Amino acid sequence: MTARPHLYALGAIVVLGLLAAFGVRDAVVLDLVFTLLLYAVLGQSWNWISGYAGNISFGHAIFFGCGAYASALCVTHGLTPWLAIPAGALAAAALALVTGFPTLGLRGHYFSIATIAVAALVETFARTTPWLGKANGFELPIASGWAALQFPQKGPYVVLALALFAAVQLATIALERSRLGYYLRALRANHAAAASVGIDERRCKLIAFAWSATMASAAGVLYAQYTLFIDPPSTLALAISIDIALIGVVGGIGTLWGPAAGALVYVVLAKAVALRFGGAGKGYDLVIYGAIICLIAALRPYGIVGTIVDAIRRRRGSIAVGPGAAAETPA
Amino acid sequence: MSSLLEVRGLAKRFGSVRALDGVDLDVAEGSLTGLIGPNGAGKSTAFACIAGAEKPSAGSVRFRGREIAGTAYHRVAALGIGRTYQLVQTFADMTVLEAVTTGALLRRARLRDAIAHAQEILAFVGLAEKRYRLGRALTVADKKRLEVARALATEPTLLLLDEVMAGLTPAECGAAVELLRRILARGVTVLMVEHVMEVLMPIAEHVVVIAAGKTIFSGTAAGAVRDAGVIEAYLGSPLEHGEIAGHAP
Ligand SMILES: Nc1ncnc2c1ncn2[C@@H]1O[C@H](COP(=O)(O)OP(=O)(O)OP(=O)(O)O)[C@@H](O)[C@H]1O
Ligand SMILES: [Mg+2]
Repeated sequence: MTARPHLYALGAIVVLGLLAAFGVRDAVVLDLVFTLLLYAVLGQSWNWISGYAGNISFGHAIFFGCGAYASALCVTHGLTPWLAIPAGALAAAALALVTGFPTLGLRGHYFSIATIAVAALVETFARTTPWLGKANGFELPIASGWAALQFPQKGPYVVLALALFAAVQLATIALERSRLGYYLRALRANHAAAASVGIDERRCKLIAFAWSATMASAAGVLYAQYTLFIDPPSTLALAISIDIALIGVVGGIGTLWGPAAGALVYVVLAKAVALRFGGAGKGYDLVIYGAIICLIAALRPYGIVGTIVDAIRRRRGSIAVGPGAAAETPA
Repeated sequence: MSSLLEVRGLAKRFGSVRALDGVDLDVAEGSLTGLIGPNGAGKSTAFACIAGAEKPSAGSVRFRGREIAGTAYHRVAALGIGRTYQLVQTFADMTVLEAVTTGALLRRARLRDAIAHAQEILAFVGLAEKRYRLGRALTVADKKRLEVARALATEPTLLLLDEVMAGLTPAECGAAVELLRRILARGVTVLMVEHVMEVLMPIAEHVVVIAAGKTIFSGTAAGAVRDAGVIEAYLGSPLEHGEIAGHAP
């Protein structure tokens, strides 16, 4: 399978994004594009551990939060926010390893439960720890320029988000063509058979989880620099973790473009509801989203992109269409 | 004749069930050894304990002179023991080529080399034309072949085959025997569970019979069907009677 079509698609998105960043003046539109890209990155981050590796994380916000808090801490201590990129990544990867080490080799839902527990712990810790701003969080001092990673317009933020999105997509294209990618898919399909060909489940999944956390942390840095205000509800809350997981599921787990598709649906829906109902519509988008999830679960368990991939495969004839094939579809 | 695999006093309990209760077996390097026994005798459990899929409760498993009992499953594979499953365990949403490539990655650092090796193995087992099919879209016979290919791709020294011919048509069985001979010719040592003595007789130098979790016979296939203890073990489970006695010379 060649990567070329994916690279072309990514190139087209980058060009479109740059056109928007430099051509569009409307702050609302730019905000939408930025949010979309950020969610696409978070969705892909989730997709690494929960899609490709098949271990559902319900605590992904804390990795996002690692980046956001690293950024706030750097800036409020007079350090460059660029430092927050490696620092946040290290903290996020460390949290991922601590959560994953005891649970990623186990059957059952221990991993998912551990992600919820660790996320709750981290959120409480941030809420009660003075040097993490307690419940008030941080307001980042205003600055400007690339060194400070702050800009008066939204254009440069879109460029940065676009760069992060492109990097994450490229990493995922590489993953699909790497030993780790093959191993994760094998583990997801059948962990025992995977072990029988020498695959070390815990090792593979820990690597995937650490990278996953690193990506989410980078998104957190960008988010903090963009909003210049972070607190536990906006960066660490369970609701954010759920949103990230929803985006991953809607788009199609374990697919390259699934998270981007899921983010698109999510952002457009949220915006449409906000426009239609205003502030009173808060929560309607979640209701609609929930309904979509139910539909997907019932009809198309592989999400939007998974359904398209399936259709392509059917046309190429690599799936036996019929009740026998359907019966063997993994749940 | 040196033993590639030496199993002594292997025991496995599942709660109160004694699935294995003293299995001894030797597999000579380069040979094909048959493992037989009535249903529920513990053949598959013995495979699982040798391959590392299950931790033995007691006993020793020496592979190339090295104790491997209790070693992690993926490490045993890396040491050179490949296996297939009695109930096929394919990577359902991977293509045939991808699944075999996954096996080939064990000994190859670069994906391109692994794919090339997988293509070679697929040609060897006769699945080359179906390489872009999904695992779940194959017939039972092809799924079994795919499992053999996936295991072979890891370049095992010892291959454990658990009833690879069960459920195959006579024609498919013939093809499978022919494949087995070519696998042996490659220098791979084989230990296989097989119910049909007719299949085993001409190809197995050596057979080990287990019943109720214990080794009750070890010797030639011809010797096994004449052994009083073996006959009794099979007669003890009437369903199996026809299977072995029917094929006795
Ligand atoms: N995971 C398990 N938990 C509990 N009991 C088990 C388990 N696996 C096997 N057993 C029991 O251990 C015994 C041996 O089973 P095993 O599958 O090894 O037999 P077998 O010789 O392979 O039989 P068959 O010819 O039917 O494949 C049986 O009584 C079985 O019920
Ligand atoms: Mg069995």
